[in-house]
Amino acid sequence: MDTNKELKQDYWSYVVRQFKKNKRALYSLYIVLFMLFIAVFADFLANEKPIVCTYHGKTYFPILKDYAVSLKLSQFPKELNNVVWSDLKYDFVLRAPIPYSPSTQDILNFGFVSPFGKQDVPSLRWRHWLGTEGIGRDILSALIHGTRIAFIIGLISMSIASVIGILLGALAGFFGDRGIRISRAALIMGIIFTCLGLFYANAVGGFFTGILAFFVCIFIGYLISRPLKKIPILTPKTSIPIDIIVQRMIEILVSIPRLFLIIAVVAIAKPSIFLVMAVIGLTSWTEIARFIRAELLRIRNLEYIEASEALGFPRWRILLKHAIPNALSPVLITIAFGIAAAILTESFLSFIGLGIPPETLTWGKLLSLAQGGKSQLWVAIFPGFAIFLTVTLFNLIGEGLTDALDPRQKK
Amino acid sequence: MLFIPTLFAISLLTFFLSTNVPGDPVEQMLNSNSEIGSSAKAQAAEIAYVQKRKQLGLDLPTFYFSISDKATPKDLFEIPKKFERQNLSKLINQYGNWEEIKKYYQAVKAFDVKIGNVESDSTNADALIDIKSDVKQLLIEPDNKVISFLINNLKTNAQAASNLLYLQPEVNTIQQLYGDVQTKATPYKKYIPTIHWYGTKNQYHQWITKFMVGDFGISYQDEKPVKTVIWEAVRWTVLLSFISIFLTYLIAIPLGIVSAANKGNIKDQTISTTLFILYSLPSFWVATLLIMFFGGGDFFNLFPSFGVPQTTEGLSFFGKFANYIWHLTLPVVCYTYGGLAFISRQMRGAMVNALSQDYVRTARAKGVDEEKVLWKHAIKNSLLPIITLFANVFPLAISGSVVLELIFSIPGMGKTAYEALVARNYPVVYTVVMFSAILTLVGYLVADILYAVVDPRISYNKK
Repeated sequence: MDTNKELKQDYWSYVVRQFKKNKRALYSLYIVLFMLFIAVFADFLANEKPIVCTYHGKTYFPILKDYAVSLKLSQFPKELNNVVWSDLKYDFVLRAPIPYSPSTQDILNFGFVSPFGKQDVPSLRWRHWLGTEGIGRDILSALIHGTRIAFIIGLISMSIASVIGILLGALAGFFGDRGIRISRAALIMGIIFTCLGLFYANAVGGFFTGILAFFVCIFIGYLISRPLKKIPILTPKTSIPIDIIVQRMIEILVSIPRLFLIIAVVAIAKPSIFLVMAVIGLTSWTEIARFIRAELLRIRNLEYIEASEALGFPRWRILLKHAIPNALSPVLITIAFGIAAAILTESFLSFIGLGIPPETLTWGKLLSLAQGGKSQLWVAIFPGFAIFLTVTLFNLIGEGLTDALDPRQKK
Repeated sequence: MLFIPTLFAISLLTFFLSTNVPGDPVEQMLNSNSEIGSSAKAQAAEIAYVQKRKQLGLDLPTFYFSISDKATPKDLFEIPKKFERQNLSKLINQYGNWEEIKKYYQAVKAFDVKIGNVESDSTNADALIDIKSDVKQLLIEPDNKVISFLINNLKTNAQAASNLLYLQPEVNTIQQLYGDVQTKATPYKKYIPTIHWYGTKNQYHQWITKFMVGDFGISYQDEKPVKTVIWEAVRWTVLLSFISIFLTYLIAIPLGIVSAANKGNIKDQTISTTLFILYSLPSFWVATLLIMFFGGGDFFNLFPSFGVPQTTEGLSFFGKFANYIWHLTLPVVCYTYGGLAFISRQMRGAMVNALSQDYVRTARAKGVDEEKVLWKHAIKNSLLPIITLFANVFPLAISGSVVLELIFSIPGMGKTAYEALVARNYPVVYTVVMFSAILTLVGYLVADILYAVVDPRISYNKK
């Protein structure tokens, strides 16, 4: 009876069950979810603006209002423009648990005030629980908002890496060197019009118009290649060695020291979080692609793929609907480790002052503020510990996934 | 042999990343501040610029061919100053008529030379300074509104003093030529693709051919040969890497064996948990803390926070040796701890695998004691994969760690490469990237060969 039940359960619920057996990984996941919560609600946890307040008889939700203002949907009323929020005389006020924004400078407590020593604050409510840094910014507040940046960078850069890695790895593994065959006409037109597309994308300028111009070119090339196919010399099909191409791309990326490549791009361009995410994402897809490729090399020879080929499904559909979903599980492991690596890379970049705009306080940036200092141990310990904790948690989740997805562990 | 096209692609990638970078290496090297000087000075600076550019080989086109539009002339690269060249190409992008733009540019350039010859006196001093800065701005200004504004400024300033009046016709010519640029615009030309062929006289060809015979050029920063710069850096990195790789293997292999022998029990779990935590510790955090605690902070002033002895003169051999050790302790600790987990994990896996083999069971069955089984029989087979790992570690040992070298100020490869990157010192950057690429690829090759050597079952000839 028990076995019957087990048979009915699908693969993923089996994985979840296996994962839950690993207590370390499970608790790591819970803590990560908690940190995700902190990241999402950072503005409500640490902010100089109150959550709710009544000022001159009117009730405001300044933090919510702030979102609207930054989206240019609304404006603060005149009397609340450019005010020091902590000094206002409110009729009623509900403040965020940490009443400091990461950019708030507490002029009474500047110059590395210790979390254990005496602080010049009105009450415990205003205490800097983790101390302050050189110009009086609250460290706990910076840590809370740093969580958001770390998570955004980890998640988005790995999403970019996954999309590229899964796509290229799947193409290489599923089609191999002989799988994609197109007519000579399409090949020649494809090369010519890709070059033309790049040229016009550059000539037109602008991000979206450029992309549009590129795809218009490709489409025109496709339209031209259709009648050309009928010319006898151009009809024979040639295969595109997609596997070799992808393998070479991986080899190139792997041979250049990754951190070096990232620093090269980041040092040259204008600092921005998006650039850092994009660069980390674009350089860390190789591992994912390798895993997917290896999985698909195995899967493409399985009987169910053969069966669906025999049924006459288009190969793209087989790849997308039947082959890739079964290859995804090992990628989860790589993604978990990849997020840890991405957070580490970003911390290091901001530690040496690259990539992230100078006014944004990230964990790495905070850690760098402790450098050269003498007794500012807390400035070094807390952000470093935050980085360490996050990296460890993601590594533990990666370990747990490795065990859960390994069929040899089945009992 | 497939790695030759890979190297070629890497060389292209680094080359094009660097040519599209803002900033002018020639200007940076000359560090010329001769903004407004006498005419002779300005002309000397111009000549020095051209000479330096030629010396660096930057007076050549960048590649064998260029794909551009019909509006862009083939010989645009001959304009010496990079910022002026970029400005011209922006103007071409707007108006598409090189002939007119060229005339306009030459007129402004001639005016710039002429204005340098004008003697400054009390009547024209202010106007002259304005004119000079306006002309300099005009040479690098692509925006229509600003150009018109600057030309009008020139006009009014030329009327400001009596001995400047003779400049007026020239200003009028500039205005007229700029008007021509606008009226005779042919923007359609920018949508017609053209390929210009330059042949082998180009920057890339010069660089790659010299690179292949071992001439890496000179560093922009200190004008030393790149070879010297890299050699000086590599010594430190190799010294550090080999000490720490040696230590890593020395510690990690016994740890791996011990945890394999005690597989699953408390000892094994403690070792793997500790190593796991060490593995997750960010090295720059540990380095910062170590410096704070031991490197002259408030706590223990045991070690220097800089990784390299300043002077070793006057010390005996052992004195020097002790001095090096003293300086390198903290960096070596940071280099070593991260690798421990990886190596000992591999060792554990290999050992567990070896211990489950039949020959181990046979050895146990015939009464060989457990110690001997472990350290004599099983270790031989389990060491093989560890040896091959060395091939993967090797490239890293040369390219060094940017993180730690920066924090401990060790003038090794990582720091040199980082500084070269930030200062846009391309000859050094190219060389470092190419060498680490070559070493990585060679590392893979060696690893493959080693696998085949240590395990005769692997063969690369047949599939």
